[in-house]
Amino acid sequence: MFAYFLRRVALTIPTFLALMFLTFVAIRLVPGDPVEVRVGEHGISPERLAFFRHQLGLDQPLWKQFFDYVWKLLHGDFGVSLATQQKVLTEFLTLFPATLELAFFAMMFAVLVGVPAGAIAAVKRGSVFDQGLMTVSLFGYSMPIFWWGLLLIMFVSVKLGLLPVSGRIDLINYYFDQPTGFMTIDALLSDEPGAFLDALRHLVLPAIVLGTVPLGVIARMTRSSMLEVLNEDYVRTARAKGLSPGRVIGVHALRNALLPVVTVIGLSVSGLMAGAVLTETIFSWPGVGHWLIDSIGRRDYPALQGGVMLVSAVVILVNLIVDLIYGMIDPRISHGR
Amino acid sequence: MKAITFAGLGLAALLVGAGAASAKTLVYCSEGSPENFTPAINTTGTSFDAARPVYNRLTEFKRGTTEVVPGLAESWDITDGGKTITFHLRKGVKFHSLKDFKPTRDFDADDVLWSIDRQWKPDHPYFKVSGGKHDYLNDMDMPTLLYSVEKTDDHTVVMKLKAPNVAILANLAMDFMAIGSKEYADFLLKKGTPEQFDQAPVGTGPFSFVAYQKDSVIRYKANKGYYGEKPLVDDLVFAITPDPTARYAKLKAGECHVNAYPRPADLAEMEKDPSLKVIHAPGLNVAYLAFNNLKPPFDKKEVRQALSMAIDRDAIIKDVYLGAGEKATTLIPPTMWSYDDKIADTPYDPEKAKAMLATAGVQTPLDIDLWYQPVSRPYNPNGKRIGEMMQSDLAKIGVNAKLVTYEWGEYRKRIQNGDDMTSQMGWTGDNGDPDNFFFLLGCPDGKPAGNNIPKWCNDEFNHLLEEARTIPDQAERAKLYQRMQEIEHDEAPSLLIAHSIVFESMRANVTGYKQSPLGTHAFEGVDVQ
Repeated sequence: MFAYFLRRVALTIPTFLALMFLTFVAIRLVPGDPVEVRVGEHGISPERLAFFRHQLGLDQPLWKQFFDYVWKLLHGDFGVSLATQQKVLTEFLTLFPATLELAFFAMMFAVLVGVPAGAIAAVKRGSVFDQGLMTVSLFGYSMPIFWWGLLLIMFVSVKLGLLPVSGRIDLINYYFDQPTGFMTIDALLSDEPGAFLDALRHLVLPAIVLGTVPLGVIARMTRSSMLEVLNEDYVRTARAKGLSPGRVIGVHALRNALLPVVTVIGLSVSGLMAGAVLTETIFSWPGVGHWLIDSIGRRDYPALQGGVMLVSAVVILVNLIVDLIYGMIDPRISHGR
Repeated sequence: MKAITFAGLGLAALLVGAGAASAKTLVYCSEGSPENFTPAINTTGTSFDAARPVYNRLTEFKRGTTEVVPGLAESWDITDGGKTITFHLRKGVKFHSLKDFKPTRDFDADDVLWSIDRQWKPDHPYFKVSGGKHDYLNDMDMPTLLYSVEKTDDHTVVMKLKAPNVAILANLAMDFMAIGSKEYADFLLKKGTPEQFDQAPVGTGPFSFVAYQKDSVIRYKANKGYYGEKPLVDDLVFAITPDPTARYAKLKAGECHVNAYPRPADLAEMEKDPSLKVIHAPGLNVAYLAFNNLKPPFDKKEVRQALSMAIDRDAIIKDVYLGAGEKATTLIPPTMWSYDDKIADTPYDPEKAKAMLATAGVQTPLDIDLWYQPVSRPYNPNGKRIGEMMQSDLAKIGVNAKLVTYEWGEYRKRIQNGDDMTSQMGWTGDNGDPDNFFFLLGCPDGKPAGNNIPKWCNDEFNHLLEEARTIPDQAERAKLYQRMQEIEHDEAPSLLIAHSIVFESMRANVTGYKQSPLGTHAFEGVDVQ
């Protein structure tokens, strides 16, 4: 098990190196450097342009800039944002709890709705529910997030007035310290009556929007995996033993059917991060997705490079954990043996 | 069943929500996050808006206008033919307090010197703090203009200039000249955290800074002892909402009172909604097509006039600006003082244009290049589309325009160097002073890398431009600027296309909001009924 763990960790090293290189090159392919992008109609004198380029190290050859960047990264230095002059790591850590909170609730929504729905569809194969669910999940899977988010805002928040449009908390009525950065936890700690409920209300729509795509995938995966399992001998044996249908499906079938679903959940994390970029923009959610988009606009090289590396580290870490869990719950995988 | 009931109750509670009574709060749905709170090191309107509630300047723009009025300087004397300005500072003005900083003295001349020197003197201890990019000081040519800034006593500051320039009073009202607290700066330097100066601002303005949560919210509270126009709400909140559709939804749902930059496509619907109101004004900007006067045949006035007549600007405003634009007749927009409303509009007359080209001895078909702006700008929503419409209009008089463009930085550099034959460009005013527009046609800026894109140099125009800088009296200056507008109209160095129209939207119960021609947002004197 330990050797497997080490092997998996070692495999992440080339991934990181490739990522470092790709983010470094990609942002530099976008026209306009961080100095020029600040300049409007006034223009900038060649001397000032040269001075600021020198200050940012942009006058160095590209290979040197890249090695400086890698060297600093290896020392845990993610650099300083050109726009705000704050440490990239500090900015990331300030914003990441918001993304994590949103992703957590989105995943909760996807799993809590997707797994039971998929399981019921499999048990009632061919029924109206099954066909309806498959159609809906296909829609969910192919839903453009931006459109879906705006549709929900317009209908649920503006038309019906049931939920807030955007943000994390009602800014007029609540103002409290946020030591953890997780609004739900901070609201609970704040002792302000109603704050926790308000934080949850703000989470409903963004979590649904971000959770829709994984919901579709999880529901379909659970269904097909359940269908396979339901035909297995041990399920037939369980039925023959006279166990109640609930026990047969819940304990014997679903538990075994969940293995591939766990993998899908792990893989969905990268999708969640990508979806967070749009969801955070629509819902004014102060997370890392929206921050990265801003950084591209400002050609904030350090923020973008550092941000992408940190987000990637999270995705890789989650996939690593999923792999390990997968190995634990299914000993047949035996990790390379 | 119990579980379902419980879940149902939970859902109902979520949907109904909770609320609590609070002090009067104004929520402004802003479009983005500030880079920091020190305007001297920023360039974006978003950052300026975020710092504006906190700070004052020596001079101010009267709210909703470009008129320069006293600010932290109660009055000033202009002597030495416009080369010396003596500022008499307001007494008894208090700085705000923060959790870890309580000011022990009132605002005085040291704060003024500190705020200017920070941007101007490379040996200043704060010069390099937070990146040290003082773009606006340089953009406004202040290092070239300023000779010295000194105090003669605690409430008198003397500013000496290298050449007469009364327009500098408008520069001093700009955001980058915000006056900060020297005492606070010294305190932070001693503490070893000078960059906090730019993150947690201390000023003398109508609202004091409370907190900023990155990408989420900025909170301010009313400065009850403010010397100027009093804030009418207790709390001011900037709810950072980058997506314009989400901002509109929040405005409709009553989650914000004033909404930054509505989308033109939403305006018609907003205007129909009785719970909202929409106001508009011409932007302090201009879009134009510059004719490179150094390249034949554009050295001939008749050719420039002919091409100006050949382009249908009404069609451009209707199809590209979608109504959010106004045809330009002079370089400055009609809201600016000295605007000459007697200048006639250049008519759209392709037949006359063709005849004028022939009279000027230009053989058709004439091949030219037409450079279009690669990015949308506040004054030009779609350079390419405008370029295509111009190309088709010009073809009708036998002029074949080849469309050319480059990446924005490269584009600007090349046209400033005069590589183009004709090119789209524009200007957004900085300070509401006509000098800030007319210098664009001054001879000094006609040299390579200068902002005079048509590279047009007219001795009379240039003389008037320089003379106007020495005259303190606004009415006298206005006469010179009006003569300059006549010269410009007759000479047609560029085809003036349009001034954009800027819209603002808010809840109908917001009172006292004044739209600034400078495109800024300010909330003193604004109330929620």
